[in-house]
Amino acid sequence: MPVKVLILEDNPVARSFLCRVVRESFSDANAITEAGDLETARRHINLTGGDQGLHGVDPFKLILVDLELPDGNGMELLTELAQYPATKIVTTLYSDDDHLFPALQCGADGYLLKEDRFEVLVEELQKIVRGQPPLSPAIARRLLTHFRGGEGSDTQAPDSGFMRATGFTTSKPVPIDKVPDHERLTPRESEVLTYLSKGFTIKEIASLMGIKWFTVNDHIKSIYKKLNVSSRAEAAVLASKQGLV
Amino acid sequence: MAFVASTPSMPTAVPADDSLFEASGFQRVLAARRPSRWIGWRRRLLVALALAACLALFGMVRLMTQAPLIDAQWQSGPLGMPVLQASGDARLAPHLGRSLVRLQAGSDTLDFSAGLRLGAPRWTVDDAQRARQIQARDTLNRLFTAGPLTLVFDDGAQVSVQPQARGLRGLGVGFWLLALPALMLFLVGAVVLLAKPMAVNALFALMATCQAVNLLWIGAESSALLTPVLPAVVNDLPWRLGLDLATAAAAAHGFALYPLRLAGHVWLGAAIWGAAGLMLLAAVQGDAPGLWWWGQGSLLALGLTAVVVLIRSYRDEPNPFVVVMRRFALAALGTMVVVDAALVAADWQPAMAESVAMSAVLVWSLFFASLMALVPFLSRARRLLREFAMLAGLSTLATSLDLLFISLFSLEPFASLTLAVFIALAGYAAARQWMLDQMMGSRVPTTERTFEQLYGIARELQKRPERRAVLLAQLLRDLFDPLEVVHVPRAAPHARVLADGSALVVPVRDEDPPVALVLRFARRGRRIFTREDARLTDRIVEQLRRAVAYDQAVERGRTEERVRIAQDLHDDIGARLLTLMYKAPDPEMEDYLRQTLKDLKTLTRGLAASQHRLSHAIGEWKADVQQRLTAAHIGLSWSFSFDQDVELTVVQWSGLTRVLRELVSNTIHHAQATHLDVQASLDAGQLRLCVADDGIGRAPQAWSHGLGLGGVRKRVKQLGGDVVWRENQPTGIVCDVVIPEFLRRD
Repeated sequence: MPVKVLILEDNPVARSFLCRVVRESFSDANAITEAGDLETARRHINLTGGDQGLHGVDPFKLILVDLELPDGNGMELLTELAQYPATKIVTTLYSDDDHLFPALQCGADGYLLKEDRFEVLVEELQKIVRGQPPLSPAIARRLLTHFRGGEGSDTQAPDSGFMRATGFTTSKPVPIDKVPDHERLTPRESEVLTYLSKGFTIKEIASLMGIKWFTVNDHIKSIYKKLNVSSRAEAAVLASKQGLV
Repeated sequence: MAFVASTPSMPTAVPADDSLFEASGFQRVLAARRPSRWIGWRRRLLVALALAACLALFGMVRLMTQAPLIDAQWQSGPLGMPVLQASGDARLAPHLGRSLVRLQAGSDTLDFSAGLRLGAPRWTVDDAQRARQIQARDTLNRLFTAGPLTLVFDDGAQVSVQPQARGLRGLGVGFWLLALPALMLFLVGAVVLLAKPMAVNALFALMATCQAVNLLWIGAESSALLTPVLPAVVNDLPWRLGLDLATAAAAAHGFALYPLRLAGHVWLGAAIWGAAGLMLLAAVQGDAPGLWWWGQGSLLALGLTAVVVLIRSYRDEPNPFVVVMRRFALAALGTMVVVDAALVAADWQPAMAESVAMSAVLVWSLFFASLMALVPFLSRARRLLREFAMLAGLSTLATSLDLLFISLFSLEPFASLTLAVFIALAGYAAARQWMLDQMMGSRVPTTERTFEQLYGIARELQKRPERRAVLLAQLLRDLFDPLEVVHVPRAAPHARVLADGSALVVPVRDEDPPVALVLRFARRGRRIFTREDARLTDRIVEQLRRAVAYDQAVERGRTEERVRIAQDLHDDIGARLLTLMYKAPDPEMEDYLRQTLKDLKTLTRGLAASQHRLSHAIGEWKADVQQRLTAAHIGLSWSFSFDQDVELTVVQWSGLTRVLRELVSNTIHHAQATHLDVQASLDAGQLRLCVADDGIGRAPQAWSHGLGLGGVRKRVKQLGGDVVWRENQPTGIVCDVVIPEFLRRD
């Protein structure tokens, strides 16, 4: 059975480019569904069993979501699909943490920057699907503040300013009085994040910390998971606030 | 005679939230405050006291109106004989303008031909003269009670008149004019005492009451010549000297208690009151030679004691209240000496002595009473009140001088008055500003300087809002030059003056937790804080807040505008460039478009954000360079050290980002290098960036500086630095960027 992929992107040129990236990335035969706006994407998802993806016989395995769409923000769909059992990837032109961090909080498993070269995109996509999500220094820094105990100081990072104008304020987490233990970072994870925020590569971090490359990667995956868990509740709150659910 | 210490706080003007300012230790005096439920009780008591005072006045008026009197008005003649001015009695009418020689009733006779004085013995200097005066007053009393009076005029005419009850009309305007300030002075004393029942306020109330009685007394005597007085006060010297002594002693004692409780104030108080008591005893005995001299001498001594006490108090604690009190005391003492001199000079001229004594004493008493009434309201005093006090002082001076000239040089009354007024006005014009500054210390920095400071501090505050309290304190320090500024963790609705103007409480707005600044002793303890200062401070704080809010609003608007432009650029142009890039005919064009897109993103991000922390930027630069070099299979050594994690401005951030990107692009596309070395440091404000590759590049001097390297040059120059390319050993190119004053902001 072919792997089902949904690509949500309004620019037809970019869409066909992303189709090529997906085809190139996986040797398995895949069935790509294209959507130009949120409405179409929702229809396709409903056909495959709704946003829970439970009773659908054949759900999508991979969903690429553009953030800027003619009838809304891709973040809305990500919020709706919080429980959907697919690898969700944000494709965007924005590389700043103000846009990417909320997307990751909404349950995205990774992000692709659309201006990257074809080969880079293929490689990145494969990595995400394999479970090696990217973490830019800005996002690592953002994660550090986020996990520092829900003190609510996680407002706009001072060095990126888009959010104020977009009006999409997911970046501000609902203050949590006490972060449960399973949502707190271990010292090792904090260390990894600190190194990432300083621009070190995984390989460099591994040698700096005296651990294996894949151990560093495991830490990153674990951080992602914790971010998802801790932001589920917030996402739900946010979604209900925006009248999405 | 001297001055008074008191507390200005009226009961209604004392909100309960003062307690903390007291608790902070600087307000010893107010610490003994009663809870506010006493206020109602005290107000009722005050009303009762006012009613009692009115009743007493009414009783006095009744007593005076029932005294027998001849329906005639007299004026002191040039030879000391009363001259008939006006009369409602038909029998006296033909004798208008004639001098009275003798007054007879039965066997008693009062002979005016030798220049008889009937005025208050209190102001007669010579002992023998005073004894005659007392006797004459006694005789006058007997004459009026004996029955029909026979008046003998200088033309020999004799008129017999039956004295009538005086009646309300007979009291004269002068009495009512003095009764009013007397009543007010008494009430001021009562209010001060009731506001805070404590020793020093009781002393003030005592002084106020004494001087109120004094004023009333003068009023009663001023009403008419040839008026019988109460038998008990035929000799008023012991009574009135007693009042004055009590006032002076209370002042000297009070200053030892307030504002600073001096060491040994108990002994001092005992000595003062003892001395005053002895003097009074001597006056009651009445047979001491030179009694008047002793009396005035002891008043002067008590006044000087008060001044000395004030000087001691100021040495221990430079409270501006003390300074003002000292000036008041010296002013009162100085005018007293002038008045006494006038009295002494006039004493040997019987014709003049009467009127000089009357007006000099009246003027001095009014001046003193107005000073006293002013004391509790010093910090509330408006400019008008201050001017009033000064004018009162000046008119006192003018009148005293006038009387002095008349009695000393026997000048014409008009000439003397003109001269005195001229001298007083000249003095006033010359010394007005100086006196204003000295008396109340109203010198405030010029508006221009204040505005400059306000502006500068608003600028600074906008940059560093967390320093609000410090900056405000600095501004107030410049404005008022206080001895100390204390931060108190306490909210206050607005600026207030405390403790007789020795302290000013200024709330710092928008602070959490709330903070108030307490300024103590303005102008190094030489100036009193007034309510105007409090209002000025409130306005300054408000203006500061507005200026900062305005700046913030402007900045916010600017940011919003920039963000909007950035958003539009990014969304519209970015999306088009992306489409173009996907459709690029060849890899070179695609790469060119990609670089353009990245530059656009740097540009928009720079527009949207105002500041970038250096350490954050370094992380991103490294990740970016690393990613690009990895894709091009080039190794990277990276080192970026800094001694200060500064906030980069947009220009600095985007400049460095693009310089670095351009240099790395150059290496990737042209150098065919295998390794790139990036060394950078920010050390003592100097930024060095060195990018070295091991590629095939040679002879950089010969390069044609195209778009890329020209851009690098331009940006480095923009940042105030220099860029040099040279050959690397053994192969490759090194690019050195040095920005000497990277941290200079202008």
